[in-house]
Amino acid sequence: MPSYSSDRRSLLKIIGAIGATCAYPFASDELFGQTASAANRPLPQQNSPARFFNEDDFATVSRIADLIIPETETPGAVGSGVPAYIDLVISRNTDQQLVMADGLRWLDGEAKRLLNRRFIELPEEQQISILEPLCEAADKNERRARNVQFFALMKSLTADGYYTSKVGLRTELGYTGDMARAGFPDCVHEH
Amino acid sequence: MANKLYDVVVIGSGAGGGTLSSRLADLGADTLVLEGGPKIDTRTDFNTHALPYDFPFRHIPTMRPGKPGFDGERSRGLGGKTQLWNAVALRFSQRDFKGRQHDGAGENWPFDYSDIAPYYDRIERQIGVCGNYDHLEDLPDGIFMPPAPMKCTDLAIQAGAKKLGVQVIHVRKATLTRASKTRPACHYCGNCMSGCDVAAKYNSLDVHMIPALKSGNLTLQQNSIVYELAVSDEAKVSEVRYFDRETRAEGVARGRVVVVACACAQSVALLLMSKSSRFPTGLGNSSGELGKNFIPHITGGFEGFLVEFIGKPEANDEGFLDHAYIPSFMHDRKRDYPRSFGVQFNYQNHRTVGWARGIGGMGKAYKEAVKARYPAYLTFTGYHEMLPNPDSYIDIDTDDLDEYGLPKPRRHWKLHDDDWKLHNDMKRWCQAILDASGTEIFSNAAAPVTNHEIGGCRMGTDAKTSVVNEFCRSHDVSNLFVTDASVFPSSSEKNPTLTIMALALRTADHIADRLQKGEV
Repeated sequence: MPSYSSDRRSLLKIIGAIGATCAYPFASDELFGQTASAANRPLPQQNSPARFFNEDDFATVSRIADLIIPETETPGAVGSGVPAYIDLVISRNTDQQLVMADGLRWLDGEAKRLLNRRFIELPEEQQISILEPLCEAADKNERRARNVQFFALMKSLTADGYYTSKVGLRTELGYTGDMARAGFPDCVHEH
Repeated sequence: MANKLYDVVVIGSGAGGGTLSSRLADLGADTLVLEGGPKIDTRTDFNTHALPYDFPFRHIPTMRPGKPGFDGERSRGLGGKTQLWNAVALRFSQRDFKGRQHDGAGENWPFDYSDIAPYYDRIERQIGVCGNYDHLEDLPDGIFMPPAPMKCTDLAIQAGAKKLGVQVIHVRKATLTRASKTRPACHYCGNCMSGCDVAAKYNSLDVHMIPALKSGNLTLQQNSIVYELAVSDEAKVSEVRYFDRETRAEGVARGRVVVVACACAQSVALLLMSKSSRFPTGLGNSSGELGKNFIPHITGGFEGFLVEFIGKPEANDEGFLDHAYIPSFMHDRKRDYPRSFGVQFNYQNHRTVGWARGIGGMGKAYKEAVKARYPAYLTFTGYHEMLPNPDSYIDIDTDDLDEYGLPKPRRHWKLHDDDWKLHNDMKRWCQAILDASGTEIFSNAAAPVTNHEIGGCRMGTDAKTSVVNEFCRSHDVSNLFVTDASVFPSSSEKNPTLTIMALALRTADHIADRLQKGEV
């Protein structure tokens, strides 16, 4: 079987080819040049496994993932464990770590510019209105801007994580392929 | 046992080596099979029915934890690529064997369809091939079990293709639709290419080699990576030199006859690595043709969504992957290039959804768009022949060594003008059929991609322009045979495996005959 080289799948190569100068991991405090107040930090989860992202970044990543695939009649990204999947993948990929760092920094910069708050603190409509132009640019394959690369990476990871999860594959999509059948049924539709 | 002289030493245990060695053992020849990879238990070693969420990174590994195998092209495992193939089993036609007679391009095979037809009959009886009797000139019928019904989505493509005068037929596969005495029928889980754990799909280990062990004439030796064939003063292979995959301990095997069946590029590489004062550019390469005439299948792939099925409830149609096929239809149409193409489609399964990341948008609308398209997704890939040219060949890279310190084979290929005409016309036809079927095209491969590897050790009657004769015997080395797709003088657009197997049976009979007559 062939493997395709569709544009979207070569995204990661493109991301890898674009150089960046900042190192990661780093504390987001250093990144933003400011100190987030302790009250705004999400509470550390009890017994959570060691994570690559710090709590602030993990919360932002979780929020974006849930905006890309929200809860509907079925659970969304957070409800299917996508953030932990993203954390695991990013922990093993230094190129993607740079894209993530730049993107998260840009998001908070944009939120601060617009409403003088951090991205995670914005109302949902504001969060969506910041992300939607990035989503449209990514869909049009206009990937030169770093923040668009960031969104495209977030979307790929969220989609991969969600639709390979038990919730995404079974509950949402209705996969039932893993059964032994006595025969293959004839089609009963008209074509 | 290093000094034991076998009748036949076979290097490789896949479609070619597995078929040939079991036939020789059944005929009474003392046969040793050397396989570079480990022993495989088809029933327990593969992740056949795993799902992505069973694994942290969501990739389904081929082998179960702690089970070695398929970790490199020199080290696959007993059964070789037949463990993971998709089992498409198509006969080549007379026109495929004598393409040059029809359009003046490429090379003819040194025999006719009628010479190989009895071997196609035999191999189909042995392995079980399902299919429909379609009575097509360019795709001869075989000995078939009933086909599996087409999927609903196949029928949509069939209806679209019909508007263009293009025929869609049932696929022909070496997968049982009815139980045999020793193998169950397919249970349609759609994981054929992850190792069929019940051997409803043919693999050479369970269907050919293990049964042949009863003859007492077959020895399977896994984990033995052959790196050199030494040649005697009489220009015969005197020693097969290998090392153990795990311990790297060196060993030697000896046979009256030595058969190389390592899957095209690896077979060519082994012969190129076997240099001697007598054959300074590679074993059996007095013609200088070894490695040349590399003619892999060239593909152009699409992915799309059948509009008719967008938003329909998901139905389990994993089946045995593709149930239908578009056979070559260009031979009798006006065109400005030689040869033809066929189309394999609807061969995806539904346990992975890699395309979802490519659907536009975000939020609820995105989630709904993916769900709606899940039942409608299909792959659609044209396969075409390419003609031999000087830019397409296999060599070895002595500067790029694999994990065993052996040079990696390198594949060089370039399409020439006629190949491009064929390729572009194939893409146009694929797009037209998808359009006529009401398909939202999702991806269209930007560049040609190679698939089945063919050529590099060409068969022919003239020792100056080919490497082996019509019985796959080296023109230069009288006890050396090659049985895989490397010997094909032309590739057709059809999947090569059934022809590899038919050729292996024919070669086995020839070798047994020569052994009996004391000619080797």
